Amino acid sequence: MTKNNYWYYHSLSFSSPSMKPKLSVITVGLIFCISIGFGQNESKIKIQKSELPQSFVKRAEYKVAYTGSIVWLNGINLGSEYLWKEYLKSKKRRRGGRMNKHQFLLNANLGFSTNFSSKTDTGIYTNAGLIWRRTNKKGKQFNIEFNPLGYYRSFLPETFEVNGDNVEKVALAGRGYYTPSISVGIGKERKGKVRSGSYFNVNYTLRTSYNGGNLPAWYLQYGFRFNFNNKKK
Amino acid sequence: MKNEYLTYIKLTVLLIAFLSLASCSNDDNPNNLDETIFVRHKNADMPAYIRGNGAEKVFLVTLHGGPGGGGLEFVGDAFNIIEDQYGVVYFDQRGSGMSQGSYTEEDVSLDLMAEDVLALVKVLKRKYGNDSQFFLLGHSWGGTLGTATLVKDQSDFIGWIEVDGANNPAGLYDQYIETFTITANAQIALGNSVDFWESILEFVSKVDPISNLDDFSELNSRAFDLEEKLTDDGFINNPVSNADRKKLTFEYNASTAIWNGRQIATILIDQQGLFQVTDFTSQLPEITIPSLFISGQYDMIVPVVSAQKAFENIGSEVKELQIFDRSGHSPLDTEPERFAAEVLRFLEANKQ
Repeated sequence: MTKNNYWYYHSLSFSSPSMKPKLSVITVGLIFCISIGFGQNESKIKIQKSELPQSFVKRAEYKVAYTGSIVWLNGINLGSEYLWKEYLKSKKRRRGGRMNKHQFLLNANLGFSTNFSSKTDTGIYTNAGLIWRRTNKKGKQFNIEFNPLGYYRSFLPETFEVNGDNVEKVALAGRGYYTPSISVGIGKERKGKVRSGSYFNVNYTLRTSYNGGNLPAWYLQYGFRFNFNNKKK
Repeated sequence: MKNEYLTYIKLTVLLIAFLSLASCSNDDNPNNLDETIFVRHKNADMPAYIRGNGAEKVFLVTLHGGPGGGGLEFVGDAFNIIEDQYGVVYFDQRGSGMSQGSYTEEDVSLDLMAEDVLALVKVLKRKYGNDSQFFLLGHSWGGTLGTATLVKDQSDFIGWIEVDGANNPAGLYDQYIETFTITANAQIALGNSVDFWESILEFVSKVDPISNLDDFSELNSRAFDLEEKLTDDGFINNPVSNADRKKLTFEYNASTAIWNGRQIATILIDQQGLFQVTDFTSQLPEITIPSLFISGQYDMIVPVVSAQKAFENIGSEVKELQIFDRSGHSPLDTEPERFAAEVLRFLEANKQ
């Protein structure tokens, strides 16, 4: 019976509650983190809004990343970030000052992931949302990415649909799921370079509705950002 | 600009390479089947992993334990031997393994899951031809589901193999109390791990004699401890180390499979109280296809008495009961050669 599942179900218990989405907690956490970043109104702190170029192209960066869980799921993520707002926050200290850059970026991604071993977990996804990123003067970055708009489309191998006694082969079988996600990560800025930065994110995605519930999934993302405008300089 | 385009081209080629690798198909050689198909039925997409020798078009359709296990939990030494002779279909049930879909908790029922199994057979017939022959094998919870399937419609199957199966989950509560007591007394009499077995007797004495979910869960959990102790004391063979099963680490996305398993177990056991209400004993006479019951002598999770009662009540004229005296709940792991031999003998004798 239940505990009979040899490999990894030994922790399974009958009374364990099903996992419930903790999106609200994550959202509150996100707002909290951002408010910490902007909430210090001491006189020593100066916040200055940056002048941003008008051109859409000049405010856009592109990114490519590995995404997956290494063991089971591996894939690639292609994305674009558009700098929406930027603030320079300076703080006076005994030995000089500290200047951090806070950015809000509009974010969009397109990705593909698969389990090469079984072909039961292949799909493409797209999502869009907002990134808050803090960069210190050494170029070290911390960011939180929230993508409330997300869509995942699974692709299944040979699939047959059964309706009563009728069996039909399904072309391009798969299912679509609404997949909001949040990522928290660190990175490094490379000023003036085409490869303008690198980043490492831990991503939490909710695939819903999935088998009578909402499937939580964790992914790692490691990738690079590119700013092709830097090349022209 | 040229280099910029080159970057885009490189990325596109990389993406195409990923997609190509993912869509590679396996060889359709009937002597060495190794393919994964999906069965779409009533808002669920359920994978069936078809392996082995399909030359004779004789297939052993397997139903895993749980609820919430995975179809591939059978792979290993015993099933490698079976695969050499016949095709084996490992099936991730609704809400289990890598099954996916979109339905409500209220949609899920044992009856629907039995329909899923019948849908799987329809798909296999479509793929391999109407002249294909199917045996059904259910282990543990798979015994519950298999019995439900056969009671619903047994016309597609030419044989039934129940391995430590629970065709009367509602009766397990009393069977646990009885089996724990008998086993503990026997072990104490032999002087084996006396403190442990005395603690079991004490635990059993405190269990509410009226079936309830909390005590059932505790009894079920203790059953695994008892088997472990019996293994340590040399009554149950140590499970063979299956290299094939280790590969499951890569076959299943563990986080998905675990979440699926917990979800379906919660729905069926906690919400629907399946193990409190399900009892197929009175319907067993309706099953008339040749049947083989296999049970471990020291099965504490689905005690051997369950197989004995099923054997007595089944309506089949051709029926067998095989007790594996060095096994607990998983004879396919503890006595794999004998397990494979018994299953193959049954298949050989009853295929048409």
